[in-house]
Amino acid sequence: MKRIDKKVADAYFKTRTTLIMSFLGIGVIVSFGVVLFAESLTEVTFIGIPIHYYMGAQGAIVTFIILLFLNAIISDRIDKKYGIDDSRNETIGKGKPMDH
Amino acid sequence: METQFIVSFAFILATFGLYVGIAIFNKAKVASDFYVAGRGVPAIYNGMAIGADWMSAASFIGLAGTVMILGYDGLGYIMGWTGGYLLLTFLLAPQLRKYGRYTVPEFIGDRYDSNVARLIAAVATIIISFTYSIGQMSGSGIVIGRLLEIDYRLGTIIGAVLIAIYASLGGMKGITWTQVAQYVVLITAYLIPVIFMSLQLTNNPLPWVSYGEVLEQMKVLDADLGISDYLTPFTNGTKWQFMALMFTLMAGTAGLPHVIVRFFTVATMKAARWSGAWALLFIGLLYLSAPAYAAFSRFILMTKVANSPINALPEWTKSWVDTGKLLIADTNGDGILQWTELQISNDIVVMATPEIANLGIFVIGLMAAGAMAAALSTAGGLMMAISSSLSHDIYFRSINPQATDQKRLAVGRWSIIIASLVAGVVALNPPGAITQIVAWAFALAASSFFPALLLGVWWKRSNAAGVISGMLVGLTVTLGYIFAAKYGGFTILGIIDTGAGVFGTAAALITNIVVSLATKPPSKKIQEEVQDLRYPEQMTYRDGEVWLDNGEDIPPTK
Repeated sequence: MKRIDKKVADAYFKTRTTLIMSFLGIGVIVSFGVVLFAESLTEVTFIGIPIHYYMGAQGAIVTFIILLFLNAIISDRIDKKYGIDDSRNETIGKGKPMDH
Repeated sequence: METQFIVSFAFILATFGLYVGIAIFNKAKVASDFYVAGRGVPAIYNGMAIGADWMSAASFIGLAGTVMILGYDGLGYIMGWTGGYLLLTFLLAPQLRKYGRYTVPEFIGDRYDSNVARLIAAVATIIISFTYSIGQMSGSGIVIGRLLEIDYRLGTIIGAVLIAIYASLGGMKGITWTQVAQYVVLITAYLIPVIFMSLQLTNNPLPWVSYGEVLEQMKVLDADLGISDYLTPFTNGTKWQFMALMFTLMAGTAGLPHVIVRFFTVATMKAARWSGAWALLFIGLLYLSAPAYAAFSRFILMTKVANSPINALPEWTKSWVDTGKLLIADTNGDGILQWTELQISNDIVVMATPEIANLGIFVIGLMAAGAMAAALSTAGGLMMAISSSLSHDIYFRSINPQATDQKRLAVGRWSIIIASLVAGVVALNPPGAITQIVAWAFALAASSFFPALLLGVWWKRSNAAGVISGMLVGLTVTLGYIFAAKYGGFTILGIIDTGAGVFGTAAALITNIVVSLATKPPSKKIQEEVQDLRYPEQMTYRDGEVWLDNGEDIPPTK
């Protein structure tokens, strides 16, 4: 066990939280945001579909999927930057004392 | 008809055999196999298992039809049911995995250090999962019944017995690998017909790109008929109802115990993040295709069925009229079937596609196997959630903490068998429309589990009194609103019973915060455990310091 400087630990948490909050913000804009202004978006089209419908049927979902993969990839990079070793995580995660 | 029966029967039988074989091969030997599949499921397979667990008979059979009938307003379901995975994967799943418990009620009980909170959560799990499973049971009954040409009640019983057998055999471990196989079956069955339909109508094998063309043509058809455009927003409810429903489905997704527990089967927080990403990709394949199904089917109905002489309709319409799912009435007596004289049930859109597009007996058989896979996989996951709550949260944690592994496995298996059969019997005579019951289950999950878990993970000050009152107030407000909206005609901003979760969730969050602040903070140990969830497994928060486990020395004792 090695002690980590409180500042480093806080920075780790802050980076992860900022990432999550920005992704959630984008998620809200492409779903709730578009719905809120649906009536005024009916004239613009994408691959032949009015944009308000396109976002509901495809745009929002594709954005959600991209955000989830970006989150997984970027979080792995952040972990690596802070010297987190995934195989060590696995050993610790499997042998939790609360596995009763 | 005879050949069709043999082909469909062979498909169903072969897939059944596969599922039961997988379940037997992965039989749980110890408690951690039974509850969390030994915590070693790789993220990509867990993603498929989540997909199968998540996509129920309602998604498979009913979603495309809902979009077809509601037009733009049906898209609230699509965005709500996929957006929930952002909340789940960003805010809850990895942290809950690090906490390392077997079930969601167990997390709530230990995080808030309260037996009462655990018992309320266990009872809520059982109620939510049980209600949800009734829909799956009757869905499988309809498919089996239609296929084997027996009464759907008999079909329901066959489905329930099958679920009881394979779920109790394998526990979570068997269910996980069965669900992986079920995902493959259901997605293949869903995609093949829509791809063929796209080829027939637009000469483009990619329905996701090609249905824009069909939408444009429908716009003209709608205008000719003088009916409201398919794409016009908010024709079936207010904008606020649309957003309330979307929120309810999102928060409900993030609070459904049988989905959350799937994230407990992987090894690490990292694997939990990847599971969420893979899961939504696999789920997205179906959800992105549903609006294409809706557009193609509506187009075919408008051009090939509507405006035909009533006595010269396509062959396939007859069998659906017989089931009562398609209503045709020449109300104005001119011998021609007008679009407005057609009444189509949600359930017909996907199931009738192979016949509409003339895809032959093998595709119809595959479709039946796919619908069965969707019903069975979700029911299996739900039965597992009920059984874990009974055997672990209630029996082991409250009644007999000294129980051996064998004893707990036996209680778990018997509770699956009993719960499946009881749900099967209730499904013989379902208490309401299936989609309605499902929407209520989401509203209840959104107003009980979502706030309890969100504050439990992110706010260390939240305490036992807060969570107990929060869950009770949330459930009361949701149930109250559902009854007031449904039977009393009471609505706020046009929000009806299916959007009730938005009020319940808000009430539960506020109650939890206010009551927690008014009462004593949780113990230092609990507050540190909550702060510990901010970091990956290798980092531990203790006594105001963060420690990195480099595997070199023994960690300092508490």
